[in-house]
Amino acid sequence: MAAGPLGFNSYLGRKPVVLTFLTALATVLFLIVSGISHIYTAQQQSLAARWSGRGASDLKAQHFIDAVADFRTALLYNRDNYSYQLSLAQALLGLRRTDEAYAYLINLWDRQPENGVVNLELARIAAGKGDTWRALRFYHNAIYATWPGDEEAESRNAHFELIEYLLGIHADTQAQAELIAIDANLSEASPLQEQLGKLFLKAQDNQHAFAAFHRALREKRHDGPALAGAGMAAYGLGHYLAARRYLDEALQISPDDQQSAEWLRRTESVLTLDPYQPQVRAAERDRMAIQGFTVAGSRLKSCAATGEAAAIEGLRKNWADLKSQISPGALRRDPDLFNQTMNLTFSIERQTSRICGPGSDDDQALLLIAGQHEEN
Amino acid sequence: MSALRSMFREDRYFLMISVFIGIFSGLFVVCFRYAIDWSRIYLLGTGAMPSRTRLLLAPALTGLVISVLVIHLFPRAKGSGVNQTKAALYIFNGYIPLRTALGKFITSALAIGSGQSLGPEDPSLQIGASLASAIGRRLNLSRDRMRLIAPVGAAAGLAAAFNAPISAVLFVIEEVIGRWTAGILGSVVLSAVSSVVVTRWFLGSESLFRIPVVELQRPSELIAYAVLGIIGGLASVAFASGIEHLRPRCAKMLPWTHYLQPAIAGLLIGAIGAMGAPQVMGAGYNYMDEAMHGRFTWQFLAILALLKIVATLLSFVSGTPGGMFAPTLFIGAMLGAAVGGAEHALLPHLGWSPGTYALVGMGVLFAGFLRVPMTSVFMVLEVSGNYSIILPVIVANTFAYLISRTLMPTAIFDVLSRQDGMELPSMEEQREENILRIEDAMQEPPKNILDAGDTVEKALRAAEGSQDEVLLVRLRPSGWSCIGLSALRALGQAGKGEQTLDSVAAGEAIPLLHPDLPLDMALRYFDRWPLIPVVSRANLRELDGVIAERDVLERYRDFAGE
Repeated sequence: MAAGPLGFNSYLGRKPVVLTFLTALATVLFLIVSGISHIYTAQQQSLAARWSGRGASDLKAQHFIDAVADFRTALLYNRDNYSYQLSLAQALLGLRRTDEAYAYLINLWDRQPENGVVNLELARIAAGKGDTWRALRFYHNAIYATWPGDEEAESRNAHFELIEYLLGIHADTQAQAELIAIDANLSEASPLQEQLGKLFLKAQDNQHAFAAFHRALREKRHDGPALAGAGMAAYGLGHYLAARRYLDEALQISPDDQQSAEWLRRTESVLTLDPYQPQVRAAERDRMAIQGFTVAGSRLKSCAATGEAAAIEGLRKNWADLKSQISPGALRRDPDLFNQTMNLTFSIERQTSRICGPGSDDDQALLLIAGQHEEN
Repeated sequence: MSALRSMFREDRYFLMISVFIGIFSGLFVVCFRYAIDWSRIYLLGTGAMPSRTRLLLAPALTGLVISVLVIHLFPRAKGSGVNQTKAALYIFNGYIPLRTALGKFITSALAIGSGQSLGPEDPSLQIGASLASAIGRRLNLSRDRMRLIAPVGAAAGLAAAFNAPISAVLFVIEEVIGRWTAGILGSVVLSAVSSVVVTRWFLGSESLFRIPVVELQRPSELIAYAVLGIIGGLASVAFASGIEHLRPRCAKMLPWTHYLQPAIAGLLIGAIGAMGAPQVMGAGYNYMDEAMHGRFTWQFLAILALLKIVATLLSFVSGTPGGMFAPTLFIGAMLGAAVGGAEHALLPHLGWSPGTYALVGMGVLFAGFLRVPMTSVFMVLEVSGNYSIILPVIVANTFAYLISRTLMPTAIFDVLSRQDGMELPSMEEQREENILRIEDAMQEPPKNILDAGDTVEKALRAAEGSQDEVLLVRLRPSGWSCIGLSALRALGQAGKGEQTLDSVAAGEAIPLLHPDLPLDMALRYFDRWPLIPVVSRANLRELDGVIAERDVLERYRDFAGE
């Protein structure tokens, strides 16, 4: 350098030396920029962490607007961070901005199709939009996806959510299939047996529901909800005595359980009105038939009062004709009269139910008895 | 030793220097990006949505500082930097002071960071060119090399800023160099690639946007993209016309107002931000990304496109240093997604993805506003990494380009050059130039063509019946020569009638011309040969015609009359 500009230029004019000099200069600059880059990256990461921390707090407190702003800011500093994007999508879902959330989630899904949280959120969005095909696809993905933390529990929760969704869209058969799949993998002592039983009950699979509640009760004999569920399942299976026993017990544990009380009333009705029960004495049977016939007559009256008299005129006439013939002695003497009485009772209940809507507990009980009698 | 000498041959040496230019440009652009981010953090705060006070004050006050810096310290830092680089190539023999790079670095980082509606790409291009120019001067490169070195640096700077080497190379060829020259291509590509490698080392290899799934479901959707091309073309013309009309008016204002112009622009842009559209501030890449992922309604996207045009006009015509690449992309993305959304609202059966429309919209504005049709297509392909989008891009860009050229014949960069008192070559003008070729002036082949084996007497007999003063001679085994009638007569009178032409008048073979060559090529030879044969490229012995100086001059005269 002391040689002045001309000397320096002539020095640089030697090409290998120039290239060596440029390489050295590039290395020095590279190191300097690396240092600057280190400072920059550290600052960006710190800002990203700070804003995402705020976002997480806001998300937890369900302050979704703030959470969205926080996570957006965090993403300014760490654009491709997976968890920030996922949290942002969840905050957007909290604000019901599903289209925006979907855009983020589908992008995350592209990056990690095996992520359980993303699949579950996508399934919920699809379910909300009524896109059953996509909802089922993402729910199934979520069930078999990878989850942070307790993978088995998260996967099972996703499975339960899928079943709830299926029940919501009245796909009971599919729901039953999914429930049987869970049932097969659930230990008998699992505290989830009660939940499983309830879902079976919703899916109208009383057999499996009763079994699940029964397993739950083996673990916890005085579990009110499990007793109530077992009672309902037994009722559905036509095991009215067992149903009464379970429901009674449930009400003893939870006297304020209105639902169990309601089911118990129905059960009592059935037990009072069902002349086909085994081990019922003849006198009792005839009394039940006459009581059922009387309930059907009351039903005809109440239905006629609603303005539907013309539609049930024929039934009223038949009922009145038969009424004069039946008595406990006549029924005992003439088995055909007993059958005729029960058939007319069932016919009245069915038709009035179609014309005038559901009737009293006794009417419901008679309909149930009719159904079971025909099945047998 | 000879291997070493060969290695350091001038052209190879220049290629090696190009790699270093790329590395240095990449390093500076990385720092430039950091500087923009730091400037944003310290001026607007760390949040995505700055407070109203900051939105109003930061761009305005920073505008004041920028105007002082530009007026007193870095006058050449004004504007985008593309034209200045082009001027360095064509006017200043590749000279761009290093101070310009420094000024551009500081003022652009402040401007973009404070929220002015400008982008970092054009300044990066100028910074790269300026660094390259400084290196070239230090290495005492020849004048020819010095002229070439600015575009090499420009490509490196742009590639680093855009993380897209192919688009950068094409842009530099289309807009900065303004013509296709194979001689510089290698250096430009090398510098662009090396700068991108450096940038990716520090900033990561992620593209500017998270590209959603891009697909064309039905060919009929191309009509929808054509509509986008038409609307984009009109928007480009509106944007460019705004600059064309407002920029000279602002420049002509009283000198003291120049201190206030960037501040006023900043204040107005800050007001737009404070009123609910902070998306238009700065380069806005993150918002383009969000638009691609369907974050905004199509109505809001249309408003953002309009506001961005206004904001960019304010920033650019006020003389604030910064580039127009990012705003162009922003307007294109918002407009594209808005048009796509509107089309979908009107025709719900139409396949709709905001990401696809936004990407095509970017290309549309590139083609319509910057008028770089090749770059516009490759830019979208390079950014999206998806070749299935090529058809919509080409359709939409073609419409936008044609509309823009029809409604505004002069491209925006040429407009800016002329406003600055410069006339720089442009590829667009070159495309429109009607070049005269040899075939436009050549005459039918003469009837009398002599053979080098003919005797002088035979040649004289053949020449007597002709009107031609000069006769063509076919040489053996190939080639052509010519001989004047007077020279032939002189040979006959000298008693050389029995001798063959090649023995007495073995003239130098005339260089051959072909019909497709530019007409001016013929002018090079008339001082030595009065008549030049024009031969087919497929068969050099097949004469397509002949051309004389008079034919060329007459054709030029006629052309001037046309």
